[in-house]
Amino acid sequence: MTTTRRDIFKFAGGSALGALLTPAPWRLITDTALWSENWPGIPRPARGEIRAKFTHCSLCPAGCAVRARCVGEQPVSLAGVRGGLCPFGVTGHQLPYHPARLRQGPVSEAMAAVADAIAKCGPGERVAVLDLRPGRTASWTARRAMAVLKNGWYIAPVQSPVAVDLTKARTVLSLSAPLLERWGTPANVFAVRDGFRLIQADPVESRTAALADLWLPIRPGSEEALALGLAGQLTSAETAAMTGLSEHQIESVGQTIGFGRLSLVIDRAMSPAVVALNVKLGGWGRTIVPRAEAPVPPEWKKAAPVTDLAAVPDRSIRVLLIDESAPGEYLPWDAIEKKLAAGNPLVVVFAWSANGYGRYAKYVLPTPVYPEATDDIPPAIDSPAPCFRIAAPLLAAPAGVVTPSEFIASLAGLPPADALRERARAIHQGGRGTLVTYADAKSVPVKEVKPDDFWKALNAGGCWVGQALPPANFRAPVGQALPPANPSQGLVVLATPPAPSPASPLFTKLYQESDLLLAPNCIALHPQDAARCGVSAGNRATLETPNGKWSVRILTDSSVRPGVVLAARPEMASASGKVVRV
Amino acid sequence: MNAQKKYGMSIDVDRCTGCGSCMVACAVENNIPPAHAGANDRNGLTWIRVYKVDNGEDYPGKRSAFIPVLCQQCGEHTPCASVCPQQAVDVDPRTGIVGQMPERCLGCRYCMAACPYHARYFNWWDPRWPAGMEKTLNPDVAPRMRGVVEKCNFCHGRWHAAKQKAAAAGKSEIEPGDYVPACVEACPTGAIRFGDLNDPSNDLRHPDSFRLLKKLGTDPKIYYRSKRDWVRNVAQASRPVSSQKEASHG
Repeated sequence: MTTTRRDIFKFAGGSALGALLTPAPWRLITDTALWSENWPGIPRPARGEIRAKFTHCSLCPAGCAVRARCVGEQPVSLAGVRGGLCPFGVTGHQLPYHPARLRQGPVSEAMAAVADAIAKCGPGERVAVLDLRPGRTASWTARRAMAVLKNGWYIAPVQSPVAVDLTKARTVLSLSAPLLERWGTPANVFAVRDGFRLIQADPVESRTAALADLWLPIRPGSEEALALGLAGQLTSAETAAMTGLSEHQIESVGQTIGFGRLSLVIDRAMSPAVVALNVKLGGWGRTIVPRAEAPVPPEWKKAAPVTDLAAVPDRSIRVLLIDESAPGEYLPWDAIEKKLAAGNPLVVVFAWSANGYGRYAKYVLPTPVYPEATDDIPPAIDSPAPCFRIAAPLLAAPAGVVTPSEFIASLAGLPPADALRERARAIHQGGRGTLVTYADAKSVPVKEVKPDDFWKALNAGGCWVGQALPPANFRAPVGQALPPANPSQGLVVLATPPAPSPASPLFTKLYQESDLLLAPNCIALHPQDAARCGVSAGNRATLETPNGKWSVRILTDSSVRPGVVLAARPEMASASGKVVRV
Repeated sequence: MNAQKKYGMSIDVDRCTGCGSCMVACAVENNIPPAHAGANDRNGLTWIRVYKVDNGEDYPGKRSAFIPVLCQQCGEHTPCASVCPQQAVDVDPRTGIVGQMPERCLGCRYCMAACPYHARYFNWWDPRWPAGMEKTLNPDVAPRMRGVVEKCNFCHGRWHAAKQKAAAAGKSEIEPGDYVPACVEACPTGAIRFGDLNDPSNDLRHPDSFRLLKKLGTDPKIYYRSKRDWVRNVAQASRPVSSQKEASHG
């Protein structure tokens, strides 16, 4: 038998056809598909034991209770214990890996420079700590340290001494407060949302205004004028002229929130004028209540007083330590800079990212970030009772970072001590209040808990809740008749509610892959204003304000009030701005 | 024999603040990477997307609302399943969930063209996370490769976990509280609720609720609620985006 070329072709062709009838090629396709799912370019999630840990989110004053799902020691997702979390809280476990994260800094060099600068302070010159999140145990440590230094000052934004009780309110008048966004504790606010009528006075149709029962589109900066008008310190005509509302609207709101109707008036910071209006409406002790701070050890009472930045004499600070480790209130750098002494003042910033005040500082020292940092969170504005809760770390902080309170304490020679534990001991010794633990959903009187168990429970995500104080023990703050805001020149630049910055890279889902949030490099203005400025949607432009210039991208939005520019970054906010096309 | 489920959602538009928690929680749960530098609102990857819609008027008459849109889990004549040449789309008869199998998907995007809700997304780029962030990936969900279509599957990884938990406890049915998608869990306002539409004890299918593009007859399992008439009207438009936003990105 001879084998011809034709036989070879027939054999090869038959083999190919026959192979199709076997599982081999289909198996190959399946394996290729599976392999392409796991090729080296695609990361593989870590495997391990799944555990739940509890802590509190320290990214904003709400301090929501958090349940973390961990693979081994690594948190892979965060969820709220008493309701959902905001997007910042949901993605908090990703912050330690943010590309802007600081990991190394000249800690010893900064320590030596600060000690040297303190020694060389001239007469009348000061060493100051600027704490952007006051009321924490770390704040008390900074205050104690500044009391030890003979020329030390503790500077912090003024905190309202009151809290609100939304559960008692039947009508809430919000003066540009982001009540439904980032004001109180989201779970608490929405748990009682159906129980009150919401009137939102806001220059732009904010997210709160969009869901309010009534939106009053007032002029920017006229919130206090409206409060004074409703308090009877301005006539309806004067109030209408300042706010841009009609007299009828103002009188109608006045009737709705009239005396004794369980009304609550709020603004972003519960200013004295707003507190006074609440008192006038009969809300003192009902919808608005005084709140005591969680107990501290008696020896801490010798701490330096809290000083408002505005009360600091100009050109008086030689050494300024800014604690930016926990997201807090934004203060314009101009206001800070004019307090610095002339001629090479030393500014040290404690921060976890390269954003913020670091660009103005000589030294930027890296700090732990949530959920690495151990910190406590003072009660939110909508918590009538005092409380003490700890943001227990879910991850170990990397080597090279420094805790601001430890740095400041060592500067003043305070003995190294666990201030949080000392405070927990003082609270336990007080014997009042209850311990709430989320893991087993129990609430136990503190008296029935041993000191060590109390401390362990706090570190496992527990929360101490004190007793609300009777209002008769306190005097209501007195409101001030502030002058109305002057009409500004140019465009008024308003910032969206302050948020932790920088946020997780996943926030690009919200402002790059969708239009849900305003991107940090974007501004929104009314189409009429855009046309007047010679820009249109998508253009690059420069936003010029007295605070500086920013390169921005234009968005047009007819829900923005004409004459107003909406920006995402607080440093852009200004009473007078200009948009120039690039 | 297990009772057949029909999982669905109820979304109260009047409670949605548009905070975006659902969107980022979905990305965390399903290992969806941060946006590529070249990504935008047309080629981005968001299994659930919150659209801002408005009544079309100008300030101060303008009123806005936020509508979360995800795969509507169509029950009848599922458009994506009927066009897929690879059988990469499958409706699970046990749950009613429309599943997507990236291993089978060849990236033809017929399903994207067929989906009337624009709720399917093509994976244009290899998944990349900033250095170190891959440690935070969910071990229950495999990241998908470039070139496949993705969409919401009601957090199928959570359904499997709930099934395993029930099996470990010797039960054949999962407890309702054990299976909750990430967006429902994350919503701080409680606007999104989830459950078995066959269960008469929940009111997900409230008489006042409406569904997107009801006229198409796709029988979506996502029910929306709003007391505002203009919101209900907008929900029947082919794409729930305001004319203003269209113009600003045109």
